[in-house]
Amino acid sequence: MLPTRSRLSVLVFLLPPLLLYGAAVLFPILQSLFLSFFSWNGISDMEFIGLANYLRMFTGDDVFWRSFFNALGYLAICLILQLGGALFVASLLTSLRRGAELIKTLYLLPAVISTVAIAFLFVRIYSIDPVGLLNQLLHWIGLGDLERAWLSDVNTVLAAVSAPEGWRFTGLYMLIIYAALLAVPKELEEAAILDGASRWQLFTKIRFPFIRPVWITTVIMATTYGLRGFDIPYLMTNGGPGQSSELLTTYMYKTAFTSTDFGYASTISVFIVIECLVAVGLILVMLKRKADA
Amino acid sequence: MTAQAAPVTRTISALPSSSPPYRSRRRPSLYRTLSKTLIILIVIVQVYPLAWLFITSLRTEHDFATGDPFALPAALTLDNYARAFQTGNLGLNILNSFIVTMGANVLIVILGMMAAYAIQVLGFRLSHLVRGLFLIGIIVPVQIALVPLFIDYSTVNLLDTYQSMIIPLAGFSLPMSVYLFSSFFEYIPRETYEAASLDGAGPYRIFGLITLPLSVNTVVTVVLVNSIFIWNDFIFANTFVLSEELKTIPLGLQNYIGAMGKVDWTATFAAVCVTITPLLLVFLVLNKAMIQGLESGATKG
Repeated sequence: MLPTRSRLSVLVFLLPPLLLYGAAVLFPILQSLFLSFFSWNGISDMEFIGLANYLRMFTGDDVFWRSFFNALGYLAICLILQLGGALFVASLLTSLRRGAELIKTLYLLPAVISTVAIAFLFVRIYSIDPVGLLNQLLHWIGLGDLERAWLSDVNTVLAAVSAPEGWRFTGLYMLIIYAALLAVPKELEEAAILDGASRWQLFTKIRFPFIRPVWITTVIMATTYGLRGFDIPYLMTNGGPGQSSELLTTYMYKTAFTSTDFGYASTISVFIVIECLVAVGLILVMLKRKADA
Repeated sequence: MTAQAAPVTRTISALPSSSPPYRSRRRPSLYRTLSKTLIILIVIVQVYPLAWLFITSLRTEHDFATGDPFALPAALTLDNYARAFQTGNLGLNILNSFIVTMGANVLIVILGMMAAYAIQVLGFRLSHLVRGLFLIGIIVPVQIALVPLFIDYSTVNLLDTYQSMIIPLAGFSLPMSVYLFSSFFEYIPRETYEAASLDGAGPYRIFGLITLPLSVNTVVTVVLVNSIFIWNDFIFANTFVLSEELKTIPLGLQNYIGAMGKVDWTATFAAVCVTITPLLLVFLVLNKAMIQGLESGATKG
């Protein structure tokens, strides 16, 4: 603490940031919680209905549950592509003696491109007429039977809208994990190799435990980003066909701005926030406990 | 747009030859060769879609509708770019994105630095609580703010303004900025402040004369990391902005989807290429700083 600070100076520095943060983030969270107990279409008077919105969400709304499970599927695909892919590529990259900088840059390229551009791009990649990249590739490697309109097939559409999100950010997580892997002390690795450790043992016994704190951070980042996924499914399919690629976020958005049911949309928002907090809590408990064991 | 194609061709030609096995001092192991091949394959998968985007933007419409998507274009044309500029307001969209990104960044940098200064340097009793409050903003999804802000904006007439985008974008990026600045402020030795205090400098002078000038590098990091997310924001712009004059790049691109779902794809791809160029150029020029920023953003935040 500065010896000459005064209560006033703390307030002068703290108040402006808290005002912006409060107005944009904290207050809206409370407002959503408040609105979730009302029925309101934005025009007529607000009507207090207690827990009716929550009751409707948990017991009477199939679309909600459908969106919830879709969102979990979306999250799973994103996590596998982003974290699995990132860990794999980062490990491979440590064995490279040159060119790592260039590969990092290229690998990160998709992360700087807007979701609208990515949505356009993948609509064409999945397309069947004219034949897109994916279908053409399947045709060439003799899997022509699998050719299909990936975005209108109810069985593939969820995976098809999740993959671009995974593709987009895998580079970001790869960077972080690669930086952590480079920080593993060389003496530790060399000692393990002298003791006859295999590459797999080297990874599971030395490297991974060493990068665990960073791994926890990346898992949390990827999970919270996965749970807020919205742009790409919204732009590519708008949740369709039917509800087969509807996520909680897109469902909330449509409830709010297409059906103008602000009360119920806020209830879904509250659920999404709680879901994120629970997810982060679970990750911390699970990964921390393993670390102690 | 050559900036986009150049690195792609460079990897393909440069990577395999960059470290020929016979030149390395150690014996090339099977593992090393295998992982090198895998990396090259993965990088191609990662980058090819972007290269394809660029190539397609140079194809003729007929070629695009009938040809093999992997084939090189039969003829190169810039017509798509001409049509792209006719259909939309690309220049205006880019300008708007620029205004929003600048506005949000100014707020994030100044306010983030102030909050970090109060928490880390001045210190106060409830500073842990404030730190915790900022953590909420990193965890909760941005969608939570859409409905409340929409309602609040319509009561104070902020809908359809630059501010309507800048406020939530800055608000949700502020926590990361606060954490980056506070972890940097930790490294400034206490003695510096104590010496300045003994010389009679108050908290404001210390902020202006010591903390601020030392933070330039962190400012660059904060701006680079946040600009990616702000420049590409779709959801806030899509919710709060309606008029053509205020549309940012992501919204402008949507104009290319025709009224009846008929899309002029080659022109759209040309427009996409134009709009991703500014950030891509910044990224390719400053990629060392950006990569370092993203790494520290995760490990310190």
